[in-house]
Amino acid sequence: MKGTIKDLLQIPGVQGYVVAQGKNIQIKLPAKHRFASAKDRLMHLYHDLSKDDKRPGNTVEILLDDTLMTAFLSGNTMLLVLSSLRVNQALLRMTGKLIIANLGKE
Amino acid sequence: MKQEISGDLANTRCPEIIKILSLGKRTGRLYLTNGAETGNIYFSEGEVVHAQCATLTGIKAIHEIAVWTSGEYRFFVDEPADMQTIIMAVDEVLSEITGHLRQMDKITSLIPSSAAVYALEPDIREKEIQLKSIQWKVLAAIDGKTTIADIAQAIGFGVSDAMKIVYTLLRMGLLRDAAPHEIHNERRSIHLPETEFIISLKESLTRAVGPIAPYLIVETAGELGTDLLTDSTDQKAYLIETISGKIPNEKMSLKFLDDMTDWLKAEV
Repeated sequence: MKGTIKDLLQIPGVQGYVVAQGKNIQIKLPAKHRFASAKDRLMHLYHDLSKDDKRPGNTVEILLDDTLMTAFLSGNTMLLVLSSLRVNQALLRMTGKLIIANLGKE
Repeated sequence: MKQEISGDLANTRCPEIIKILSLGKRTGRLYLTNGAETGNIYFSEGEVVHAQCATLTGIKAIHEIAVWTSGEYRFFVDEPADMQTIIMAVDEVLSEITGHLRQMDKITSLIPSSAAVYALEPDIREKEIQLKSIQWKVLAAIDGKTTIADIAQAIGFGVSDAMKIVYTLLRMGLLRDAAPHEIHNERRSIHLPETEFIISLKESLTRAVGPIAPYLIVETAGELGTDLLTDSTDQKAYLIETISGKIPNEKMSLKFLDDMTDWLKAEV
């Protein structure tokens, strides 16, 4: 499976990503990004999404002003991709699904 | 890749090959073909540990392969399985196969092959009929023009399983033979545009779901209102993503996504 973070970052419009697993969170966003220092809020979001076991599917899209947040969930792992609204959303989702499948294996 | 044993399935059937490899305590991959169908059975020191055939894995895949009476087989030494889907001794596997073949003999006395086509019987004698959900799944796909093999692929069942269910439905009086003129007139042939994108899409999807791929492409494009000749990468990506959601086997679905993501990236 070739879906990697590098592939994700090459999609035009992708600003960065967050990977959360258990108590760990890794944020890769430009320093000036509005979510770059929002570790606590992102952790809350991760906990909220990962607790909800009644959600159909494992992809959640959140539209926040001019930012699209796409969360991919698998087990206790979440990959959150932050992008502009002009991103090719289907390609982003396809790549995200491949990455989360890979992360789930690790 | 060292190939050690090979032969014709018309001379040596799958259970016999399993016995031979088991006695020799072999480790490796047994690759079998039957026309366009292929299957793999993995051995570890003579034990059967994993099998795969189309979207099926484990003992269900072996059931599928065991009924093949033509085709070829090759054994590749030291190609171990990357997963274990069978946790039973070889004797148990062989006894499972024997039971399955006995059942299939009974079934083929009523259903000539997986290419048979059935239609719903409009005059049902019973007042009340109870169906299991898997029987209902098959019944809902019976349309007087689709073969059992195509139905099995569409709903992600093994051909043998689908034949078993059709056999039960026939015995319940719910189905009748589809008339030949009915089949001929109603079958549509699908002509997909020969663009680079559609060719790649069809090839990749055929690897995942078999011959129903063109139908799935046309059906999904119709649902989304997508023109198959579109130049829009967005629309292509949306089509690929939607189709991937219809592939019942998750591993196959991811493989399809993987292939097509590569293709799309070259375009973006």
